[in-house]
Amino acid sequence: MNLYQFCYGIVHWLVGLVNNIWYWLGDFLPWYFGDLFTAIGNFAASEGHLWFMTLLVESVVVVVIALINVLNFLWIFRKLSGRILDFYGPYYVGYRIGGWLQNLADGMKLFIKEIIVPTKADRLGFLLAPVIFVGSSLTILAVIPFSVDFGISTSESGEYVSAGALFALAAFSIAPFAILLAGWSSNNKYTLIGGMRSAAQMMSYEIPLILCAASVFLLAGSFNFVEIVDAQSGIWFFIPLFIGFVVFLICLMAEVEIIPFDLPEAEAELVEGWTTEYGGMRFGLFYMTTAVRSYAGGALATALFLGGWHGPSFLPDEIWFLIKAYIVFTVFMWLTWSVPRIRIDQMLVFGWRRLLPLAVLNLLIAAALKSGGWF
Amino acid sequence: MTWEMLVFLFLASSALLSALWVISAKEIVHSVIGMATCFIAIACLFIMLNAEFVAIVQILVYVGAVTIVVLFGIMLTKREIMESERK
Repeated sequence: MNLYQFCYGIVHWLVGLVNNIWYWLGDFLPWYFGDLFTAIGNFAASEGHLWFMTLLVESVVVVVIALINVLNFLWIFRKLSGRILDFYGPYYVGYRIGGWLQNLADGMKLFIKEIIVPTKADRLGFLLAPVIFVGSSLTILAVIPFSVDFGISTSESGEYVSAGALFALAAFSIAPFAILLAGWSSNNKYTLIGGMRSAAQMMSYEIPLILCAASVFLLAGSFNFVEIVDAQSGIWFFIPLFIGFVVFLICLMAEVEIIPFDLPEAEAELVEGWTTEYGGMRFGLFYMTTAVRSYAGGALATALFLGGWHGPSFLPDEIWFLIKAYIVFTVFMWLTWSVPRIRIDQMLVFGWRRLLPLAVLNLLIAAALKSGGWF
Repeated sequence: MTWEMLVFLFLASSALLSALWVISAKEIVHSVIGMATCFIAIACLFIMLNAEFVAIVQILVYVGAVTIVVLFGIMLTKREIMESERK
């Protein structure tokens, strides 16, 4: 049973339950209203309506799972930075579970804060930028499956969307637009500089990222996540493509803007970067979405290089996938607190002169392996 | 009228309206937002035509181009920040 069939079962059961009321009303009420309620019941039981509601339920399931993972990620982030920088991290809120509830408390605090739009800000851009940023980042999750059966874009027969990996990369690349928009429309020097830096960084690190992904597509011979992971059932791609794996992880860190590459929101230079003028839950959304992006990045690295859901069979496939994604995230956090932030000129040199040639070399290795007949 | 027709009309009209907005907006960054909307609506139209790959490449290529256009829009136009600097 895959996710589609499971959600279809739930929707079918619920619609049957509610339709009892509609049909009862249809029998009970006089002529006109009765026909109306019967028509509503017939519409609710139609195949198209069931299909649409199933897709909605699937989306809710995937988003809720993603948000729970984001809470875990933020907790790991805080505890691990505490461990590395020698302090405790969150401790009292949710004392028995290691301060896990602290993030919920922070979220609640952000929810009850006032929403302020600066007078001289560009209202349309200021209000639209969080929507684009959050929407495009949650769209990435739509195509990433946890296992053959657990993915939002599976159909009833278990068929999977054909160009899923490419779609995830495309959704990743919408964010710089939202960040630049946020930076420009806040009408503040710091946000503008932050947005400009962010655009330069994301544009220059996207190229090696996509080249490394291209080498994986070359070896797997497909854009489809399920086929890519199936191609790794013998040997995981991070072994033949080790250079590509390292370059991919570095570019992913630059894409999700965590510390060695957090130039757009460098606290010591620009107040809070491109989020300076945002307050309350808007800032909370940006903060949460950064975590969603690192979760999606970890899942992408897992699916492309770390063998996806392959693992010893004593744990379910989905758990193996999540374990690998958490390991990737933990490595990110470890690097975050071990390496100082790089300068803007060093960042561009690093991206264009070091990572890009390495990515091309990696693509050549992949082509050689493919033409040598090993894959 | 089928659902497919409704979705098509919605996407086509949003593409056309946002294209009109691109040429009529006062702020250049607003017309860039319109341009992004137009491109994404066209990508959705490609998905309706079962051309997934073209749709994805449309987003991948043109949204990068949109970001460049925003950069030029910021560099070549003035805003309050510049005015306060002059005073």
